Amino acid sequence: MKRKINKKRITRSSFGAGMLYLLPSILLFGIFLFYPMFKTLYLSLFWTDTQGNPVQYVGLENFMYLFESPSFMTSIKATLLFVLYTVPVGIVLALILALLANENVKGIGFFRTMFSSTIGMSVAASSVIWMLMYNPAIGIFNKILSAIHLPELQWLLDPDYALISVAISTIWMNTGFSFLILLGGLQNIDERLYENARIAGVGTWYKLRNITLPMLSPTLFFVVTVSIIGAFQSFGQIDILTGGGPMESTNVIVYAIYKDAFINYDVGLASAQAVLLFFCILFVTILQFKIGERRVHYQ
Amino acid sequence: MKKMFTFMLMFVLLITACSSESDSDNNDTTEDTNAEQTSSNDATETKEDTESGKTEVVFWHAMGGNLEETLTTIVSDYNASQSDYEVVAIFQGSYEEALTKFNTVAGTSDAPAIMQTFEVGTKYMVESGNIQPVQKFIDADSYDINQWEKNISNYYNVDGTQYSMPFNSSTPVLIYNKDAFTAAGLDAENPPMTYSALKEASQKLTIQDGSNTTQYGFSVLNYGWFFEQLVAVQGGHFVDNDNGRTASAQEVTFNQDEGLNVFTLISDMYNDGTYYNSGTSWDDIRAAFLSGKTAMYLDSSAGVKAMVDSAEFEVGVSYLPIPDGKEREGVIIGGASLWMSSGLDEEIQQGAWDFMKYVSSAEVQADWHLQTGYFAINPAAYDLDVVKEVWEAYPQLKVTVNQLRETKSSTATQGALISVFPEARQKVVSAMESLYQGADPQQALDQAASEINRALEKANKLSGN
Repeated sequence: MKRKINKKRITRSSFGAGMLYLLPSILLFGIFLFYPMFKTLYLSLFWTDTQGNPVQYVGLENFMYLFESPSFMTSIKATLLFVLYTVPVGIVLALILALLANENVKGIGFFRTMFSSTIGMSVAASSVIWMLMYNPAIGIFNKILSAIHLPELQWLLDPDYALISVAISTIWMNTGFSFLILLGGLQNIDERLYENARIAGVGTWYKLRNITLPMLSPTLFFVVTVSIIGAFQSFGQIDILTGGGPMESTNVIVYAIYKDAFINYDVGLASAQAVLLFFCILFVTILQFKIGERRVHYQ
Repeated sequence: MKKMFTFMLMFVLLITACSSESDSDNNDTTEDTNAEQTSSNDATETKEDTESGKTEVVFWHAMGGNLEETLTTIVSDYNASQSDYEVVAIFQGSYEEALTKFNTVAGTSDAPAIMQTFEVGTKYMVESGNIQPVQKFIDADSYDINQWEKNISNYYNVDGTQYSMPFNSSTPVLIYNKDAFTAAGLDAENPPMTYSALKEASQKLTIQDGSNTTQYGFSVLNYGWFFEQLVAVQGGHFVDNDNGRTASAQEVTFNQDEGLNVFTLISDMYNDGTYYNSGTSWDDIRAAFLSGKTAMYLDSSAGVKAMVDSAEFEVGVSYLPIPDGKEREGVIIGGASLWMSSGLDEEIQQGAWDFMKYVSSAEVQADWHLQTGYFAINPAAYDLDVVKEVWEAYPQLKVTVNQLRETKSSTATQGALISVFPEARQKVVSAMESLYQGADPQQALDQAASEINRALEKANKLSGN
């Protein structure tokens, strides 16, 4: 009897201690993550005044409006295209660079630094540089095009090219990060596997397909997931390069949220879009874990 | 010992987390009610804070770059000129950014005494309920507002009440490359004043090199302000109910004849290959003009002086063009005005008013006009010798002033009064951009109109009009 009480007391006190240990993170998450999340969900059901205070409960009217709005459909299309343009190309490029930089030759440190250097550039600074290069009147790209007698392009002003132009600069900005992570993954692969392969006399492609990629798959999976989430949330380069234009062709959801909340002062509508974006990313991430992770080989 | 340490660490974390929480609570709920009680305390505190015993007057503005330097000089001159008030000027980013920040503190004791807001934010500020119309001080002081330029102060006059004090005002002008005019065989002293003359001149100015056009005739920034101006100069309204001045606007009217004239002009010229699409950035269109990519373009009068200084060719300035056979009504003023926050200590408000009076004096306005190219809101400034001297060197500045002074005062040139202006401008820009993709001018206008009408309807429902 006495022992039982003791045991109970121990579990209770250990539960209390456990909670105490968790308290800081629960508090931080609660204040900075869960509270804003539920507040957003709440606001998305209201029409708000210009200061963002809920004024009138409208149920799902904000969502209904979004699904009927051609402008929101353009946003979704732009967001998906943006992810499609940036993620695969960016990762393949980073992988190629990482494979090159993984070779042990003299002076490789210089190239490793160069390839990863974009990680040190802020989005704002690099966007300004790209904006100058894209400038139709004085930018370098149009100077090159006209030097080789090709018609000049309105890089950021033509709705057909604007999103691609932003995507190109984004790939440049993000490659440094992916490169660094992938290079780290490559360096972790056991050297003996390659030695065995050399003894067996297999070709380079075989080595890449059957040793490097499977061993790198956990790292690749991480990079893909993080890149997709990052692409969904791109903001700075769009704000600086195009401001969502021309004809809303680069008005990705995150930028549409910003415009509705902080320029048009329609916080309710912005919250509704934020909720939709949240579920969108959640869905994609779950999908990745369900499908993508099956191909991941953990050592 | 180790356990102790962890516990202490957790304790510290707990306290910081809690205190940050209660801080934010304070901001949300109690500050409003506290504002009035504490404002008098604040005033006495700040009095002690400033060494000289002056009352602190906080002034938020959106003047970046060399404009900020000029403004800082004006403020420090003011602070040195008297011993009662100390104006503290704080740069808060672009007009939009500054307004967003003001929005979060409006009605609390953190709100600035003076707030600079752009012209299209007028209705928004009036409806916010957190501002003190300067009319109160004009009446109390028997201040003569007839010394202000009527066309400028009219914009900020709503239902007979002067809400804010005009400060930096500009209008759009046509800027052209005189050297290119001469090279094309055009009279450089006789720039196009009508649409047909504009088209004709643009055709002559356009130079092609193979498949690339090296020089275009004309360009307009894809920015709603220019469209509003091109409609107003024909006497057209942007929205109904006399531009929202007699009653709250219910529908836009820019998709009628006047707006169609503008869109048809742009569409025709673009299809002719004489019009250059320079995007949405002021820097880009100015770079295009300076590099010779376009021979004529529309700019703000506040950009004239910098353009004359930096161009390697002769720069001409002229009035906005109008459709043939239309009568010239005039331009709407752009720029910004100074607003006073409500719920502040009487003495701070007095300080804010005193600073506003100082800023609108002829001497300060003359300086402001010459340094920046913004208009002097006090026309007496133009009679000062300093201004006359600079006008000799820059006759282009005089053109901008004349265009404003020839403007007829009407609801068209007073400008539209709607709270959803930022959104309306985005829709107009999208419509302009669709013209370059071959959209029909009327359809493009109607599309923008229906989207803005929805925003208007929602805003009216929310404000109960």
